[in-house]
Amino acid sequence: MSPNRRELLGVLGTASASTLLWALGCTGPARRPRAAARPRGEVRTWLRDAVARLAAVFPAVHVLAVSRQRTSAAVDVIGTGVARERRDGAVLAVRDPKGRWHEQATSELTQAGIDVAVRALAGGPASRRASLSLGAPPPPPDEPAALDDRALGDRCEQITQLDEKLSSRIVYAAALVDVDDARVWSISPAHDREQRLVRVREQALRAAWNGTRPVTALAERGWIGGIDDQALGREAVEQATEDALRLMTPGAFEDGERVVLLDPTVAASLVDAAVRALWTSAAARRPEVRRRAAPGGPGAPALPAFLSITDDPTAPGAYGGFQFDDEGVPAAPIVLVDGGRPVGVLADRAAGGPEGRGGRGGRGRRPGHVGAVEPAPSHLKLAAGPFDHAELRGEGLTLEGALGASVDPGTGRVVIGCARAREQKGGEPTGRIHADVELTGDLSALLGNVTGLGKDALAVPYRDERAGEPCWRSAEAPHVRTRGLVRARRRRA
Amino acid sequence: MITRRELVRALGRRKVSDWIVAEHAQELALADEARGLERREARTRTTLIVHQDVPQGRGTARLELTAQEGSAADVVDQAVALALTAVAPSWKSVAPAAPAKVAMLDPALESADLAEAAAAILGRLRRPAGAAVTASIEVLREQVAVQSSAGLAARWTASHLHAEALITTGERSLQLARDARRAADLGLDAALAAAAVDLAFLGAAGPPAPGPCALVLAADAMLHGEGLGVWAPFAAQADAALARRGLTRYQPGAPIAPGADRVGEPLGIASNGALDFATRSAPVGDEGDAIRQFTLVERGVCTGLGLSPHEAARRGRDPNGGVRNLVIAPGTWDEAAPEQPASSASRTIRTIEVRRLQSLAIDPYTGEASLELLLAIEHAGGAKRPLTGGTVSLDLVAALARARRSATRIRRGPYVGPAAVRIEDAELI
Repeated sequence: MSPNRRELLGVLGTASASTLLWALGCTGPARRPRAAARPRGEVRTWLRDAVARLAAVFPAVHVLAVSRQRTSAAVDVIGTGVARERRDGAVLAVRDPKGRWHEQATSELTQAGIDVAVRALAGGPASRRASLSLGAPPPPPDEPAALDDRALGDRCEQITQLDEKLSSRIVYAAALVDVDDARVWSISPAHDREQRLVRVREQALRAAWNGTRPVTALAERGWIGGIDDQALGREAVEQATEDALRLMTPGAFEDGERVVLLDPTVAASLVDAAVRALWTSAAARRPEVRRRAAPGGPGAPALPAFLSITDDPTAPGAYGGFQFDDEGVPAAPIVLVDGGRPVGVLADRAAGGPEGRGGRGGRGRRPGHVGAVEPAPSHLKLAAGPFDHAELRGEGLTLEGALGASVDPGTGRVVIGCARAREQKGGEPTGRIHADVELTGDLSALLGNVTGLGKDALAVPYRDERAGEPCWRSAEAPHVRTRGLVRARRRRA
Repeated sequence: MITRRELVRALGRRKVSDWIVAEHAQELALADEARGLERREARTRTTLIVHQDVPQGRGTARLELTAQEGSAADVVDQAVALALTAVAPSWKSVAPAAPAKVAMLDPALESADLAEAAAAILGRLRRPAGAAVTASIEVLREQVAVQSSAGLAARWTASHLHAEALITTGERSLQLARDARRAADLGLDAALAAAAVDLAFLGAAGPPAPGPCALVLAADAMLHGEGLGVWAPFAAQADAALARRGLTRYQPGAPIAPGADRVGEPLGIASNGALDFATRSAPVGDEGDAIRQFTLVERGVCTGLGLSPHEAARRGRDPNGGVRNLVIAPGTWDEAAPEQPASSASRTIRTIEVRRLQSLAIDPYTGEASLELLLAIEHAGGAKRPLTGGTVSLDLVAALARARRSATRIRRGPYVGPAAVRIEDAELI
């Protein structure tokens, strides 16, 4: 019943399930659903016209439009389901002579819909047009291979069939393929850009009872590109099964300060939560954050020199990547921590903040490309180190399976939930495994205590929703050795 | 753009066993002081649910549309094709029931310009002296129409307001959020005033001493996170689909925790989706199911589950619209005296009154939770001391089943119930 599980059940619950009928080919006519029609080239014409009309009235204009379709297919122990969601929209943003921003958003991506939005912003017909020298339209983005629903269902089945370690102790098994396909246009008097972002996520979820409590394990991979560009892989799926089946050590877990080795999902979760809570121009409105995390500020944390964190939307295939942000700024990496020194924050152009105020922004992101803009990461990268992760194991615990992290911007206190803690001594596992633990502490201390980084990094996709619109991002991290307070989330085993 | 009427006509022409169309025509306005932004939005969301019965069973598809080129007939064809790729064992939709009668529109927003209304709310905000406040208000007005093949036709208009504020005094700040259907229910002025008081406490707060304590959760801590707060596990445990798969902690007819039916003031929880102006109220659900009030927990015993049309059909019951607003039965405890022990037998020697949380992490499978304290007041021997930091781990289902509930009721967003709860035998770590 984690968010992932809820998502799976949502797909199965609303789109129903086939049980074995579908898998055995005993369903109704095998009609291939037609793909929904998509807005065509005239969208650009409407948007350019809107920009020309608004630029005749306002000193700054930006128009963003999106045509997006989400298709999710899920398979679980009771069957298969497919759900579809379509979202088109446009946001017209202008800055008035007093410097105040006004936005008009519409879900009607039609000539009439754009016209209504222009009139609403301009307060009249706005028939005068500024001269634009945008040149020829950019080349159309690559068209990914079309997928029908049955192919998606097949892909889900393949994930399930990858697993040869399924046993009767697994009480719930599910696979999800989730495809967000968005075409985005960004036009202002100075630019005309277009991108196609096809975000693919694959998940395998396993649940088994351990005593009186369920234990869940999740394997997940996400990328931008074609559905066949990457795959979840047998190893990851079987690892999830093994993790769910693993017998936990009974008895109480003793809370205490420990040396911990964070697996890449936990390390990525930490970096993601920390950056969103502290290293954005929106977070910097809070005085505690300015004091604690501002680059060059008096309270900036002293971090090991080998720690570097970058947000890079240009990373190939990154789930959170893009070619330009939702304010039309071309993608470029932003270094947040360089050699242990905080040196940057993520900013949007309109809201201000250290880089946004007169700067170039670059991380203005709108939920679903149409919501209210806010600074947010794209693809965070914690730079890898020189160690094989086995070399990082010593005395202490390996924390695996991130269950979510929170960082309080006011105090810098971190809480990271982890599915398992494996004990090791002398670099070797003792066999003791504890379910549901939390790593807590002050963020500066947790990062300051880092004594080693693994050389192999893993990228974790994140898709959550704000006001019903999706936010996509990803984080990539290696194994991280640090020190912090580990405690049981469950009071009794 | 395809309209609901076109969809209905296309569904009528196609042989579709059962269908529901819901259309949400929404207007939004956002006024954001921090960003110097005024935003307006107009959007229409159409949901089409199709059930297609075939000899092998029933296929279901759900399509969410906000704008669509092409024809309504294409959309219906696609929905039917989707349904036929996912056929499950047969079930029958129940006949439609009367929509719940519930008020959801702030009369002041019925015909108002929403951007002006949002700006007016910001303009009227009472900002505490000595504190800097930046706030944002989002106002939504939506017209909803739900129509089904079984003859259901329901229409209503609703409003919703979401407010966020950052209040700063000196080097400290607090973030607030409130949701309501009426501007008068936002309670932002009172929330800002309380935050200003708490900021002063925070300035003097010290670290807590670990150890046993009684825990009082005041309203802001109890409802941390804008929704149901610590009561959320009861909504999760009432998911009928999970209960059927044996993945919930308790089943109907059983006490929600050992001894929960034998405590002095056994817990009672109801779901009421027909509560006027509550944020999760509606006349009918997304699947055309009438919203009904039902009990989840009665005298400590699980008595009901949220039933979607599919789950209701499987159980031979009427759907109830699922878990909506939670109504918690108040108790008799007087929260004005938080140091008062529950009984003379209590070994507790101090009471921690939690005013605000930094974070609340709940495992919905089990109800196990970690509460990170942002601000608390320690009551011991008649003295009061503000604290910041510290953690309490609780089995929320068991703890709330035994908790003393205040006699004072509050109403906030989707919650109606005691203003505070007192949990004996907690451990601060």
